Amino acid sequence: MARVAVVQIPGVNCEYETTRALEAVGLEARIVRWNEPASVWTEFDAYVLPGGFAFQDRIRAGAIAAKLPAVDRIAAESESGKPVLGICNGAQVLVEAGLVPGFHRGRVEMALAPNKAPRRAGYLCRWVWLRVSPGPGASWYAASIRPGEVIPMPIAHGEGRFLTADPEVRDRIQKDGLALFRYVAPSGRPPEHYPYDPNGAMLEAAGITNQAGNVLAFMPHPERASWLRQVPLELRNAWGERRRAAVGRRHDLEGAGPGRIVFESLAARLLAREAQGARS
Amino acid sequence: MSAILLVRLKITDLAAWTALETGRKLLDPGHALTRIVREQLLLFEPETGQKADSFEGVLGEAVRHSNFFVNPNKETFRFLGAAERGETWSPPEGAWGILSRARDETRDESLLQSLRREHPMPGLGAIRRARVWWLWSKGPDGDAAAPYVTGVLGELRDQKHGLLTNPHAEASMILAGATPWSRVERFLIDPAPAFRAAA
Repeated sequence: MARVAVVQIPGVNCEYETTRALEAVGLEARIVRWNEPASVWTEFDAYVLPGGFAFQDRIRAGAIAAKLPAVDRIAAESESGKPVLGICNGAQVLVEAGLVPGFHRGRVEMALAPNKAPRRAGYLCRWVWLRVSPGPGASWYAASIRPGEVIPMPIAHGEGRFLTADPEVRDRIQKDGLALFRYVAPSGRPPEHYPYDPNGAMLEAAGITNQAGNVLAFMPHPERASWLRQVPLELRNAWGERRRAAVGRRHDLEGAGPGRIVFESLAARLLAREAQGARS
Repeated sequence: MSAILLVRLKITDLAAWTALETGRKLLDPGHALTRIVREQLLLFEPETGQKADSFEGVLGEAVRHSNFFVNPNKETFRFLGAAERGETWSPPEGAWGILSRARDETRDESLLQSLRREHPMPGLGAIRRARVWWLWSKGPDGDAAAPYVTGVLGELRDQKHGLLTNPHAEASMILAGATPWSRVERFLIDPAPAFRAAA
């Protein structure tokens, strides 16, 4: 069974939910402390940096965690093709460590800047709508999503605006299809304004991958949308209808939510890799 | 000429303490970092055709006698009116600084609107924000080695270089010695200089 390390850095707060979401798709997930010896990190097939406030977001979200030896090890493992998923604060760590987009090895080419929306500032917690764009990360994190499908997922961040000051980097992200998940209106059309564009990110990006597609910096929280019971009743699309129909039906409420799609894709790819390894 | 408010924590600043601890690990042997202090800078810019003294009196009262800008339980401040601030800004004794601002916009519109609701202040056009990190460093030659320390602790370039600012979101300026306030004003008011990718 594929083994996933859920990296517990001081200040993260989503490691248990993330572990449960990974286990729900058949992966063996283990919470691994940030200060484990170097040899421990090679034992895993994949890594998830969960959400929270690593080192209390001191200086800048993700800034201190990005300099940890553990992140160095994970970066090295990602170069051999192992997947790394950074969720929210984990995404901030990956960006601050230069793993995403990673055009020049190790160079920091982006920031996750404070949210920017008209007449709104600071922390934002709400459900948003996402669509997948074709790109190298799709087979890792969005394989089971139908083309054009609009997926609801929650966000909860103050610094979620993907931004680069280098126009060349922005162009390459767009050209290479690295903005895997993008914010959209419920209809699937470009968001145009708040709240469908919740933070003013370049390319309306909610998740950006590296060029190989195996490393994803993802601002929404799929682990908070992995069970139908987590979906808000008032959501106006098929997921909301499903949620309303499940009121009082415990078995149905324990079914999959929209966020599970991300973990299912990861699991399918890891298990396929494992099977291929067993055959060769 | 603008009025300036500098606010810093008087309780332990854990962000500055963490910057100090992390910074020390990044420096080469022979270099020392003894202290880091973080300050928030607010620049109060007059409306076109107005002078700062049209609102400084009311602003000074709001700073000193309300908790709008400063929480006196945990923060301390210096309020510098246009007349009293002098021509230049000098770092604290033995320190040099890194001033950073948001790359896209320094104006804090929501703060200005809230201020106008609570403390009407005709003549005030904009409030701009920046952050300054004061560093006490020493190189092998006994000087502050500011250019070297800036390379290691200033703009983030990779996992081993840079810490205090991310140049994709922020622009920064070094405060070595007395810096003309006019230069600080231009840095905050003008669009941020274009980004230059590291070689």
